[in-house]
Amino acid sequence: MLDIPTLFKLHGYIADKAISLTTKIAFDLGKPILLEGEAGVGKTQLAKTLAAVLDTRLIRLQCYEGLDTSSALYEWNYAKQILAIRLAESSQSKQAEIENSIFTEEYLFTRPLLQAVRYKGSTPPVLLIDEIDRADEEFEAYLLELLSDFQVTIPELGTFYAEVRPVVILTSNRTRELNDALKRRCLYLWLDYPSIEKEQEIIAQHVPEINSDLTRSISEIVRNLRSIDFFKKPGIAESLDWAHALLSLNVKGISPEILFDTAGVLLKYKDDIERLKTLDVESLLVHKEHC
Amino acid sequence: MWRVSLFIKNIADANTANHAVAAHTLNICAAARKAGLAITPARSIDVFRTISHVDMTSKDDYGLALRINLASTKEEEVIFDRVFNSYWNQTSDSEGGYILANSEMIKGSLDTGLSNEGHRDMVTESDSFSEADVARKANLRMRWDPLAPPLHKLIRELSKHLATRPSRRIQNAPHGDTVNIRRSIRKSVPFGMELMKLSRVTPKIRKTRIVLLCDVSGSMDVFNPFLLQLMFGIQKTLKNSRTLVFSTETNDITSLLRGQDVAEVLAKVSKTARHWSGGTNIAKALTAVNRNILVDGSARSTVLIVISDGYDSGDITSVKRELELAKRRTRSIVWINPMYGSSSFEVRAKTMKAAMPYIDEFLPAFNAQSLLKLVAGLKRLS
Repeated sequence: MLDIPTLFKLHGYIADKAISLTTKIAFDLGKPILLEGEAGVGKTQLAKTLAAVLDTRLIRLQCYEGLDTSSALYEWNYAKQILAIRLAESSQSKQAEIENSIFTEEYLFTRPLLQAVRYKGSTPPVLLIDEIDRADEEFEAYLLELLSDFQVTIPELGTFYAEVRPVVILTSNRTRELNDALKRRCLYLWLDYPSIEKEQEIIAQHVPEINSDLTRSISEIVRNLRSIDFFKKPGIAESLDWAHALLSLNVKGISPEILFDTAGVLLKYKDDIERLKTLDVESLLVHKEHC
Repeated sequence: MWRVSLFIKNIADANTANHAVAAHTLNICAAARKAGLAITPARSIDVFRTISHVDMTSKDDYGLALRINLASTKEEEVIFDRVFNSYWNQTSDSEGGYILANSEMIKGSLDTGLSNEGHRDMVTESDSFSEADVARKANLRMRWDPLAPPLHKLIRELSKHLATRPSRRIQNAPHGDTVNIRRSIRKSVPFGMELMKLSRVTPKIRKTRIVLLCDVSGSMDVFNPFLLQLMFGIQKTLKNSRTLVFSTETNDITSLLRGQDVAEVLAKVSKTARHWSGGTNIAKALTAVNRNILVDGSARSTVLIVISDGYDSGDITSVKRELELAKRRTRSIVWINPMYGSSSFEVRAKTMKAAMPYIDEFLPAFNAQSLLKLVAGLKRLS
């Protein structure tokens, strides 16, 4: 039987010991994982890979300010209900019949959380609650309740219980502090930018056509760029995009000109690109020891 | 407490069949609690449930299993790693110090510690305090005025101006201005589609997050009692706000201010913000806010409140650059200058002069009375 890092690697994700152990414990104990880290370090990708490894469904809930239970849990299809009422009235149906018919599965929009609770299958689904820090505190409190019991009550239909408890992954970019009670229910893991060696491995895995010298240069330069106080430091996604860009440009070695010309792939703010132009780029291109 | 320990030991006995591991784990939990981590009995029990699922021949796996349960922020991960490594080194050095019935059970490279490559920057950062910083450690309890009236009411008023605005989304309200046709029709179903009662709605109030950046350098010492009251009050009243203190370093003290016991909170803040009453580096503080707090879309509904006298001998270009970035990432920047209350006040500090073009509201506040005037005169920010 393959171990967790190998399984993840087969699906293109390089998992270190902390990630492997946390996913194993989350699966064994049925506890949610709270992943925090800078944007672009692979938090969302971990959930996608886990779903692929388990060969199960990934149910994703993207959080945003103002997210409420009707968008996250369920909502009645009002337009369809009113249409049904009109049709029933024209066919002289009785009041009670109309009421019974319009509050059924047919008129229900199931949103991600309800989908996760009602999931039927032998393998648990992976429920990704992405960027929970963007949601309001009221929603966070509701989530707390759901994550404890995995049951949902729809007044018109009854209570639903999860047959298989989903593997829950919550991600946060730490734009605000999360509720302590929510944190307490989760296994916590901070994902940071990878080491040069790990990033080389990631690039080699995703862009196998690229040669190893260029891979090493990319990893080192990106690592050096991350040590500069940019507004948005390049993440792993940017490293991969840069590797793809350099490959398509048929670049053999990275010069200051190449770095400036392709800076838009790595840096996403005008101020950061302008800042790069004021820096001693030669020093970024040479290998620096990182302690 | 002994009952919890007994319960934990019972679980450990059942699951791990090893008293030594149970003893080590309880000791590490106690050490982590002493280091400031919130280790509740529930968390300790979770730890014991977890360790029965890991390879107990590896010290790293054991440490990681403990860490993912006991730490809940990046900073707490660093603290836990230190506690764990220090406990382990102590245990292996002094045979009589801790219970060490079967130490060979948990093997691992003692010199390498846990796999915490991601925390390198933080370890360096937190080790960067000078001896002077440590020696200066402020006793904040002496600066807390227990007789001062609480600012909650004033802050609630302040938040009406600063931290709320109508959203485009709506909510049900019996006396709302607008009729919700969809809901009214749905409510009419039991009455044979007769509109017996109209459902009304009103715009939801959009909560704005406040980021409070508070200067605690030496020149602001005289305002400390007021600042501490304000920080406590804002954090208690507006739960989703963030509070940072800065002098030459910057610390996010949001989680520390959540405690109920003022004395305990002040002790923790003193321990964390070792640079209190030091020099001033506004640019560095703004950089920390821009990089760590004002990220992603939610920043658009953020109001940044800077409380500082603006006396900083640092680089003005950096201050301008960071304020320009912050301006784009927030709805409003409010600068509260305690010196502004003085009748002879002029904007003389060069950093203050440089900051003026980026500030939406420049206000005085140095005590509860002036805060009251500030609230009365403050227009709702659009």
